[in-house]
Amino acid sequence: MSDHPLIPPRAAYVHVPFCDRKCGYCNFTAIAGRDGWIDRYLRAIEIELSWLGESQEVDTLYFGGGTPSHLAAGQLARLFDTVLRWFPLADGSEWTVEANPNDLDAERSAVLAEYGVNRISVGAQSFDEWKLNQLERNHRGADIRRAADVVRSIDADLAIDLIFAVPKSRSGGSSAWSTEMGETFATWQRDLDSAIELAPDHLSVYGLTIERGSAFYGRRVRGDLVELPEEIQRAMVLEAIDRLTAAGYEHYEISNFARWLHRKEGTEDTRMAGSQFQRSARSRHNQIYWQGAPYHAAGPGAARYVHGCRETNHRSTAKYLQRVLDGQSPVAEWEMLDPESRAREMLVLALRQMDGISRDDFSNRTGFILDDLVRPAIRRFIELGFLADDGEKIRLTREGLLISDALWPEFL
Amino acid sequence: MPAPEFIRNFSIIAHIDHGKSTLADRLMERTGTVSLREMKAQLLDDMDLERQRGITIKARAVAMYHDHGGSTYELNLIDTPGHVDFQYEVSRSLTCCEGAVLLVDAFQGVEAQTVANAYAAMEHELTIVPVINKIDLTHARPDEVKLEMVQSLAIDPDEVLGCSAKTGEGCETILDAIITRIPPPKGDPQAPLQAMVFDSHYDEFRGAITYIRLMNGTISKGQRIKFLQTNTTYEVLELGQFRPGRIARDMLSAGQVGYLICGIKSLSHVHIGDTISSPQGTGRPLPGYKKPKRMVFCGLYPSDGQDFEELRDALARLAINDPSFEFEPETSDALGFGFRCGFLGLLHMEIIQQRLEQEADIDLVQTAPNVTYEIDTKDGRTLEIHTPTRVPDMGQIEEFRQPIVRINFVLPTEYIGPVMKLCTDRHGIYVRTEYLSPTRAMLVYDLALADVIYDMHDKLKSATRGYGTMDYELIGHFPADLVRLDILIKGERVDALSIVCDRREADSRGRAIIKKLRKTIDRHLFEIPLQAAIGSRIIARETISAMRKNVTAKCYGGDITRKRKLWAKQKEGKKRMKSIGQVDIPQKAFLAVLETGEK
Repeated sequence: MSDHPLIPPRAAYVHVPFCDRKCGYCNFTAIAGRDGWIDRYLRAIEIELSWLGESQEVDTLYFGGGTPSHLAAGQLARLFDTVLRWFPLADGSEWTVEANPNDLDAERSAVLAEYGVNRISVGAQSFDEWKLNQLERNHRGADIRRAADVVRSIDADLAIDLIFAVPKSRSGGSSAWSTEMGETFATWQRDLDSAIELAPDHLSVYGLTIERGSAFYGRRVRGDLVELPEEIQRAMVLEAIDRLTAAGYEHYEISNFARWLHRKEGTEDTRMAGSQFQRSARSRHNQIYWQGAPYHAAGPGAARYVHGCRETNHRSTAKYLQRVLDGQSPVAEWEMLDPESRAREMLVLALRQMDGISRDDFSNRTGFILDDLVRPAIRRFIELGFLADDGEKIRLTREGLLISDALWPEFL
Repeated sequence: MPAPEFIRNFSIIAHIDHGKSTLADRLMERTGTVSLREMKAQLLDDMDLERQRGITIKARAVAMYHDHGGSTYELNLIDTPGHVDFQYEVSRSLTCCEGAVLLVDAFQGVEAQTVANAYAAMEHELTIVPVINKIDLTHARPDEVKLEMVQSLAIDPDEVLGCSAKTGEGCETILDAIITRIPPPKGDPQAPLQAMVFDSHYDEFRGAITYIRLMNGTISKGQRIKFLQTNTTYEVLELGQFRPGRIARDMLSAGQVGYLICGIKSLSHVHIGDTISSPQGTGRPLPGYKKPKRMVFCGLYPSDGQDFEELRDALARLAINDPSFEFEPETSDALGFGFRCGFLGLLHMEIIQQRLEQEADIDLVQTAPNVTYEIDTKDGRTLEIHTPTRVPDMGQIEEFRQPIVRINFVLPTEYIGPVMKLCTDRHGIYVRTEYLSPTRAMLVYDLALADVIYDMHDKLKSATRGYGTMDYELIGHFPADLVRLDILIKGERVDALSIVCDRREADSRGRAIIKKLRKTIDRHLFEIPLQAAIGSRIIARETISAMRKNVTAKCYGGDITRKRKLWAKQKEGKKRMKSIGQVDIPQKAFLAVLETGEK
């Protein structure tokens, strides 16, 4: 079983913390204005990966950030050389790099093409001027379209991220909330239409959440930011599901949608459509997380799951660099889950996927009987209409999806 | 051993902060009972003990010696608690005195406790030695204060002394006045033994230390004695006086004040107001004994049902030190197994809760405090109700009675209006107004104790900018138009949230309570109707809408640990709540019923 947590990982994640600027909603490990550290960072990645001892072949490789595309072409090439030495790609593997729409110039796209990156996740967020401003993004709607063309030109899958429910700011100096400006339901519909028009292979759709550690958090505490009413947010989630599904996207995870494409060699999710084989553009790498399968990781704030142990590197880039360059482990936190906690966690992650989880699958993978573990919670949520149970599989209903964060604690 | 004519027993009565302890310290110093240096050391010792044991140990009965007119006098200063919660204890202490020094602050003037305590002393026919303290203050207004004392308490202005307890000025004159004005005790050393128990405290090595005043007869070490009310017999292992530390004596005689140690293991066996006599049964019980009367009750429940036994042990330990606190197991549908606890008053309740928190590490749910009600049922029974949920259906009630207190407010005259409004809002009955001086008045009202205990003091302070003071005494249980107000959460009556209130206030209380509950209870995955009801009639309704969206759609990289820790924290938070019909109710919701519906 390739997804059992105790077998050697077949996936790897590399975190690139550098950004042109730090957006107000971001609470990930990201730093702006520190390009001078990139060289040390590249050395640190070389050192951290060398501790693997021997190279580990992977089926999925994911460069996230921060903004991986913020690195210059030469720096990107050096990073890829290092990473591929330790994580050589198996045949038919998926290799994703996150990119900012502005960054996909000729030099960088040449590097991406040359090394064989076959999936580019473009941080579009929105096509709307007001939203992009409010999110403190440095690109415009037109930049996204240009970036999409570049991705197509190097024959990679195009994935884009969209954000909805962007909070409003208190308008300058006045105590009143600006009424004419801000995201409306119609804004969001236009964003969805623009995205569909672009015909990406994959879409991730996020309701903006204000997390601790982001600049927005402080602004909300001070009353300078106000979130959209719950009913509008709810309608926005449903609108995304309905529009994207109608446009032919498969809603396969709470916030993720994928198209079916002509088949490429060696991929997993395939189906027959008429006389043709098709493959799904689902993110294979993210599915590793949702299956509770193991993965390697490198870089500041990166999390790995190897031999049943979850580890997170130090979230401060400075601290990460200092430690690794001193020959010390960058791991800031780690935990070894007991089999039952691992099973419960797996259940929660699996339920994020719209297919749900089958009882057989669950017991095969965890050694626990699903109903023995969480029968009262399942029964309650079925009664309340948040879970559906066909006797074999349980899965989130549409209502269940909308409040899913409130369900997870009950399964732990 | 002094003859009665060379003994004087007195207490100092004053409003809080008018300088009672400072004067006591000064008198001890002047009589050479303690030196200034010793006093400091003594104070420190006491504080250490306080810290260790969490209880206040004070010299509550000090024997001092003072020479006057060629003779040496034994002066026993008996301390009295100042707070209204301890009225019965005050009355027992006053019974042991023949006189009282009435101390009034030269700036603050007569306050509510001054009046209440002075009345109590007069009712016990004590000789009053009126003293104005802090005469050295720049803002002192002794002449006006003297006038207030004359007006409010009918004090003879010529008898009023002045002093500064801080500097010692005038203290000699006070000692002389205690000897010349206060009569000696009347007791007969030859008569059969009669001694009043007026206080006690618990010593972890010696057991109960019983404070006594001998009314008649003598008592000696090794003698057998009998507590007449509890009907128990003990041998006197040690007896003596407080100077202010315990000094053992062989014998105490009529008129004297001191302590007994009899190897009593719990203070619950020592009843304040009990009479000690000899086992032969020749001494009669002294009048005025009452069992401690609990005025305020609340439920205490462990958040985690597993802590029940631990809570029981903790309460039992507290009761050893404080017999006026009582508890008994009770069961609530909502809260499970816990205890109904009775207190002398709200301050007493707070003291006990604080000790419980300090001494036992148990997460508690406390229900709102309530008073004791009396109900005559249609079938001729009389019920004493300590728990609102025990109130029978209205149809079975013949008469519903609640405790009424007479409350004295002393305040600057410009605040009379606001305070009267405060009282009429609570359906208080006006008794009288007395002018203590052109600028200060005493306002007297009868009010339901239930309306007084919760927030009257705070309301008074805010209505009078802090200048008003109050004191009250229970005058009895009187019929009232009361109803049991129930709270229903998701259609289920939550017994721990029921209250008793005046029918005229039921609607506004009901609305205020469920409004508060709506804010206190988090939204759930389903709609939660909240209702207030009298019997089957719903008087107020609110709904906590269901959570409609709660999905953080971020795929959180691979950092699943961080997310799982958040879920675990949420789950832990829920565990500390009480779950009623699948609704998780936080602890503070059980105090929501204190909402009065006023601004």
